[in-house]
Amino acid sequence: MPCQQIESLLPSFVDGVARPDETRVVEAHLSSCAACREAVAAQRAVRAVLQARALVLTLPAPPGLRTRLAARAADEAQGMPVLGWGGRLTAFAAAAMVVLVVGSVALPVVTTRSTVLLAAQLVLDHLKCFTIDGDADTAPISAEQGAAILKSEYGYTFAVPQAAAAEGMSLVAVRQCLYGDGLAAHLLYRLDGAPVSLFVMPGLARPAAELDLFGQDQIVWNDGQKTYMLVGQAGAHDRLRRVASQLGNEAR
Amino acid sequence: MFSRRRQTATTEHGTADEFGAAALEFLDVLYTAALRLTRRPDQADDLVQDTYLKAIRARARFEQGTNLKAWMYTILHNTWRNRRRDGARAPVDYNSEAVELAADGAGGLSAQGETPETLLLRATLDEDLQAALDGLSEPFREVVWLRDVDELSYQEIAEALDIPVGTVMSRLSRGRKQLFDALMQRGCTQGV
Repeated sequence: MPCQQIESLLPSFVDGVARPDETRVVEAHLSSCAACREAVAAQRAVRAVLQARALVLTLPAPPGLRTRLAARAADEAQGMPVLGWGGRLTAFAAAAMVVLVVGSVALPVVTTRSTVLLAAQLVLDHLKCFTIDGDADTAPISAEQGAAILKSEYGYTFAVPQAAAAEGMSLVAVRQCLYGDGLAAHLLYRLDGAPVSLFVMPGLARPAAELDLFGQDQIVWNDGQKTYMLVGQAGAHDRLRRVASQLGNEAR
Repeated sequence: MFSRRRQTATTEHGTADEFGAAALEFLDVLYTAALRLTRRPDQADDLVQDTYLKAIRARARFEQGTNLKAWMYTILHNTWRNRRRDGARAPVDYNSEAVELAADGAGGLSAQGETPETLLLRATLDEDLQAALDGLSEPFREVVWLRDVDELSYQEIAEALDIPVGTVMSRLSRGRKQLFDALMQRGCTQGV
């Protein structure tokens, strides 16, 4: 099948919703077409970036607009074409209710899919924070120094794990990261010079998972109270696994 | 302090303000879309108000259990299309074929040696991503946005934009690729 016909099959293939017969056709084509393989990689990357950034790409509507719309809805409910005092009162009640509704839908839904999104987002932060804060020649700091920085700069009490050092990881910086579900401690390490990040997310127990997004390995686990995600370059997978299991032991 | 008292019927399901409250959950999403289409805050404001008013009045036509966000999007895009048609400005409708052809000229993955990871590294700078999105032509940007940011299904996108599903698929393919190329280019020109 020519590339032009494959093109319109690629989105559902990339999004993982293609029918089995479509998947077979696309896979057969990809096995012999480098251009379409590149197109698939590009589509995957774009979709992952947009999904991970969906929250920051959506802009907040002006508060006045929200209030006005709630008022209009209330007016319509009362069959009132013009906004009067009654409308205003109802509008405030409606606006207050909206706040409750919005508050209740913002809770994270823990699914495999959302773990993939979380991982994509944290990989972005891993790459970004290392360009800001993780120069290759930065002198290592101890776990205690790391904890002290988190406390003094971010007001965040957190015991930086010692176990990472055993596997030859040196701590180079600590930060606090804002992600979709709240605040995470972001510990930046180097493992044989290569950047490795450990994200610790309190109040969240996501299922254990191993992912490999964007040429980086991600290992996810939880200790019942916190979720941990280790991010490092693909290739050091076995060592990352050992680090993960030692950190898991330390937490217990 | 806010009072729990509601002045309209609380027992009857689907009153205008209950519906309005449910629809307001998507206000930020729709406002962002309106800003994307109009590129002017005052017009975006206006477009969103119109959309909500129409939605509330037509709420009986909304099928329970279907995607309210997608339904609101359909009204927003209809309203926007009508406005553009009524206004004396610019081309009224996109000539689909011309749009698809123009996309073909955008070129392939020209940046040799670049990988999705290097793209990603640069896309961490949100202004780059925003600028690349702004650089896409509207028909492509809308399809990519509705799919990858707002997670609408292909069918929902087709209905919202009033185009065939096949067109959604080809615009999605090309739009994603254009966006990828744009992100590459930004990185290259800025020497990141």
